[in-house]
Amino acid sequence: MAASETSIAGNDPRQADPVGAKRRPAAGPWATAFRKLVHDKAAMAALLVFILIVIGCSFASYYASHVAHTFPFSSNLQGKIVIDGVEQQIIAPSTEGLGLGSTPIGPTWKLQGYFLGADDQGRDVFARMLYGGLNSLWIASASTVICLLFAAVLGVTAGFFGGVADAAISRIMDVIWAFPIFLLAISLSIVLINSSINIGPIVIRAGSLWLPIFIIGIVYVPYVARPIRGQVLSLKNSEFVLAAVGLGVPSHRILWKDILPNVATTLIVFVPLMMALNMVTESALSFLSIGVQPPDASWGTIIQDGQNLLYSRPMVALAPGIAIAVTVLTLNVFGDGVRDALDPRSKLRIGGD
Amino acid sequence: MKRAQWLGVAVVAIIVVAAGAYFMRKPPEPGGGTPAPQEAAKAVEHRGGTMRLVAVGAGGTIDPQINYTLQYWQLYQGLYDGLLNFKKGVGEEGFKVVPDLAEDMPQVADDGKTLIFKIRKGIKFSNGQDLTTKDVVASFQRIFKVSSPTAGGFYSGIVGADKCLAEPASCTLEGGVVADEAANTVTLHLTQPDAEIYYKLAVPHAVILPADSPAKDVGTTALPGTGAYMVESYDPNKQLKIVRNPHFKEWSKDAQPDGYPDVVVMDFGLTDEAEVTAVANDQADWAFDPPPADRLAEIGTKYKDQVHVTPLTAMWYAPMNVNIPPFNNEKARQAVSYAIDRAALVKLFGGDVLASPVCQILPPGFPGHVDYCPFTKNPEANKWSAPDMDKAKALMQESGQIGQPVTVISEDSAVSKSVGTYLQSVLNELGFKAELKPISSNIQFTYIQNTNNKVQISVTQWYQDYPAASDFLNILFGCDSFHEGSDSSVNIAGFCDKEIDAKMKEAMKVAVTDPKKADEMWAGIDRAVTDKAAAAILFTPKHVDFVSKRLGNFQFNPQFYFMVYQAWVQ
Amino acid sequence: MLNTLIRRLIQMVFVMFGISVIVFLIFFATPGSDPSARIAGRNASPEVLAAVRKDFGFDRPLYVQYGLMMKKLLVTFDLTSFQNRGQKVIPQLVQATPVTLSLVIGGAILWVIGGIGVGLAAAATRGSVIDRGLMILGLIGISMPVFWLGSVMNLITQSRFHDTWMFSWVPALGYKPLLESPWEWFKTMLIPWISLAILYIGLYGRVLRASLIEANEEDYIRTARSKGLTETRIMLRHALRTSLITFVTLFGLDFGALVGGGALLTEVVFGLQGVGKLTYDSLKSLDLPVILASVIYASFFVVGANFVVDMAYAILDPRVRGR
Repeated sequence: MAASETSIAGNDPRQADPVGAKRRPAAGPWATAFRKLVHDKAAMAALLVFILIVIGCSFASYYASHVAHTFPFSSNLQGKIVIDGVEQQIIAPSTEGLGLGSTPIGPTWKLQGYFLGADDQGRDVFARMLYGGLNSLWIASASTVICLLFAAVLGVTAGFFGGVADAAISRIMDVIWAFPIFLLAISLSIVLINSSINIGPIVIRAGSLWLPIFIIGIVYVPYVARPIRGQVLSLKNSEFVLAAVGLGVPSHRILWKDILPNVATTLIVFVPLMMALNMVTESALSFLSIGVQPPDASWGTIIQDGQNLLYSRPMVALAPGIAIAVTVLTLNVFGDGVRDALDPRSKLRIGGD
Repeated sequence: MKRAQWLGVAVVAIIVVAAGAYFMRKPPEPGGGTPAPQEAAKAVEHRGGTMRLVAVGAGGTIDPQINYTLQYWQLYQGLYDGLLNFKKGVGEEGFKVVPDLAEDMPQVADDGKTLIFKIRKGIKFSNGQDLTTKDVVASFQRIFKVSSPTAGGFYSGIVGADKCLAEPASCTLEGGVVADEAANTVTLHLTQPDAEIYYKLAVPHAVILPADSPAKDVGTTALPGTGAYMVESYDPNKQLKIVRNPHFKEWSKDAQPDGYPDVVVMDFGLTDEAEVTAVANDQADWAFDPPPADRLAEIGTKYKDQVHVTPLTAMWYAPMNVNIPPFNNEKARQAVSYAIDRAALVKLFGGDVLASPVCQILPPGFPGHVDYCPFTKNPEANKWSAPDMDKAKALMQESGQIGQPVTVISEDSAVSKSVGTYLQSVLNELGFKAELKPISSNIQFTYIQNTNNKVQISVTQWYQDYPAASDFLNILFGCDSFHEGSDSSVNIAGFCDKEIDAKMKEAMKVAVTDPKKADEMWAGIDRAVTDKAAAAILFTPKHVDFVSKRLGNFQFNPQFYFMVYQAWVQ
Repeated sequence: MLNTLIRRLIQMVFVMFGISVIVFLIFFATPGSDPSARIAGRNASPEVLAAVRKDFGFDRPLYVQYGLMMKKLLVTFDLTSFQNRGQKVIPQLVQATPVTLSLVIGGAILWVIGGIGVGLAAAATRGSVIDRGLMILGLIGISMPVFWLGSVMNLITQSRFHDTWMFSWVPALGYKPLLESPWEWFKTMLIPWISLAILYIGLYGRVLRASLIEANEEDYIRTARSKGLTETRIMLRHALRTSLITFVTLFGLDFGALVGGGALLTEVVFGLQGVGKLTYDSLKSLDLPVILASVIYASFFVVGANFVVDMAYAILDPRVRGR
């Protein structure tokens, strides 16, 4: 049944699409895409917010030293702050009942200091979030790029060439996917205390951010590579590819013209997803002292710090979580815009959509 | 049949009425002494029920001669007996050693090298076997056969122990532990007098087990004991279930009193956060693990009648490796100790109620403790008052270690990590280039001991085994407990000062005959080691017990903490 | 079919062997991992330490240790844990499996329904407020670390609002066997299911939406449309099926990993003694026998799930089947 339906129009939409060809202006596809993107209001708004986040994070040290007058990398357990003329302890010991425990100051909602309150070391959470943003963004984006790159190459190879390549790649993916990555992290965190790893000219020390980038990047390769492999398999058996093969089109051309564009759209879908997952994974690795080293911060490590304050100061864990969500969201909306602008097939909808 | 049913109903009715009566009354003051007649009434009134304890994880093997965790030592109190035992009392009383399976304290001969124990008659193991002198001898052999962790530390002074340590399988302790079946006595021969032998015989590694117990770690199959309770089942992933020992008859209220609950279960697998919630919701009666910091304020106010805080003879400290830079420089070490704001650490740990700042090794209330604190502003007061940053910075200048890289190794638990973060902050302020490496709590303690790992400074804790000054000073700072390249080298600082070491040996000798004088000597040694700053002593922690609403008669023993079986749940 | 199955089994053995060797080597390459001192106990004397090392065979060459451990695990079935000595590893796994299955299957039902629902709704209303809203919620779901989410769930249902009518039904944390009391089982599992599923609803919903939109551009869908089929029918009968390829692949990966112990943080935070909790505890205490057993167990499910997924391709994709 399904086969009969698909057999009716059995050729590549791109080749059989006179509308797209006619509409293509002389300036070339990139210019069209760019123009389209600029006119996408949602995408532009998202880009703006994202740029604002990056700029905000870049001014972290300016904010800390000139606005909040704090140094968010050293413990401030005994510090005091004046709010509305009242002097308050940053870490206030409990005075009620048995007087057990002490609670860090909550959000003051004032940019002059402790906007989002303090963590259990009495450090300004907002200032730390600004500092941590760039670390998080850098780790998440670099590992996403690595992950998608590897996944694309491996997934396409396995799906397109099949046979031994497929079997070998698939089993390696299985090994990676079933591997207890935390064991590796625990082990590395201890190994790297006294030594460093040399990979060719690159020397990886304990504090190097390349470590979490590579670990996170590789952990999720199977997660993206396998769906891509499935997609390539399905494309390979689709009518337009079979037809192209029948017409004697060389396989590298099929790969380039028919398979890769389709894979690219899937990859773009994965970008925001992997960014979000990676930022969260980074926090787990940082917890095992792989990656962002204390007292330095990332959004993930601030969530970890906040975990210990969940019942008394939920904002410490909530704020970086929101930051991750918002950032990923902007990338996502922007990514959609880019995809719509670049996707050859979406040109069909220029008029209506 | 009918009658039995009626009996059952009647018993239930009595229990219900009794429980009702109890709940109408005000809960009794915990730990208060009560006269004898009332006690008998209490025993009837509160006897029975199931007490549910919770813990994050299991404590490992259930073998009492191998397990070395507070978690099970606490529970062993109702399960096993040694020849001697710590008194089931609160406060100072709890540090007293009383006869348990021995009728009396031993008869001492040969200048303290020979101890003769008369074994009590009529005691049965939970499997119904009678306790005999044979069991006693076999149990001492078993310490070595199963390579008990303290075999070399505590019991190497028994004649024949050296052979047993070299070849555990064929251990006989010939000439060391001698039974006289007819007289029902067991004689212990030591190579030299030992002031702490009573303590060593009172800890769970020296409990008496049936002679036919297997000569290997029994793992999850509990061995029969002589206590008021016995283990019914143990699954480290689920539950430890303890029920009454049917063969138990109380012989000494001090050593092995009968208990209130019929059944005690310890469930494993909740997080510490979930444990607090479970106790707060009356789903559990007591949590083994300390409550997490963000719950303290809540339980200290909303549930303040269910919280018990007790000081511990323990310390949090930061050992500094005296054999490698930068802390092979005494001035650098002292600078660190001067610079640490212990009040800040106390705050981090949960406030003044939960910890007190110290800078000497022997904890307050411990034998030999005399207040002393050189690393503070106004050291004349002998009490820590505030950090002396100026002095610390001056010392740093003199030491010439400014700019040196230092790595702090802490555990990855929340408290240890935050203490480490604070230390890193202080070290940076002093001019070091400090990093913090929190590593898995399970590995950290052995990792920081091994000299191969070149640990410079770490965050760790020490809890007493028994109340003797040597347990802190000699074990943590004596030359004998420093083993290069070994994972078991508990002298983490690698501190070995020949002169001080000789004094410690001397003090241990003196203690046999003149404990008072020995305590004075220990106070001096404490000062000497503290001055050398081989470790920055941070604070003395206190213990928080959070119990359910229905749990009554909470009593805290300084040796084995909350006395589980002496509390009631109905 | 039989041939494929045998080939898969051989591959499975290869994967298990590979992982176990890597895990074994990593373990022994880690400084401080030597379990002797931890087994021997605090402040053990050098003699005791040596006795323990000999007793456990840690003084023997690595390949001998590996061989012995594998033999105990796979041949004699009497491998015991280092941490909880005397506890056999295999019964531990067997006991933990139903807990994990309860959690993962329940969670999977939720997230498959949720994921498909969100994906369909978003694709059908593409570009609208509903679409945007759903995608935003999805991303927020992905951005919440599951441990954090679980803790917040506990905070709400067990502590802050436990006394209110809304959450007073929530039982104490921990697992209740299904066969003992199905209703209690359901009540204890409901919150964990939701916590586990939220992440995947976001992920799958998004992935499905993208594939659906893409499928809409495919020729055969356009053909179907030109034949005058209703949009709903096209979406459900034609577009959805082909779009499920990515969805099913991801599901296979996630389901395999989660049944194999990947739900460790959810299990930890809700006090469920499943395979994940076992793996978590063993990793924290570097308990090599349990780590090895759980890793081999996990790889079994990962490879197995992938096998099922590969089979499913043929059923789902008319083009593959058409061949």
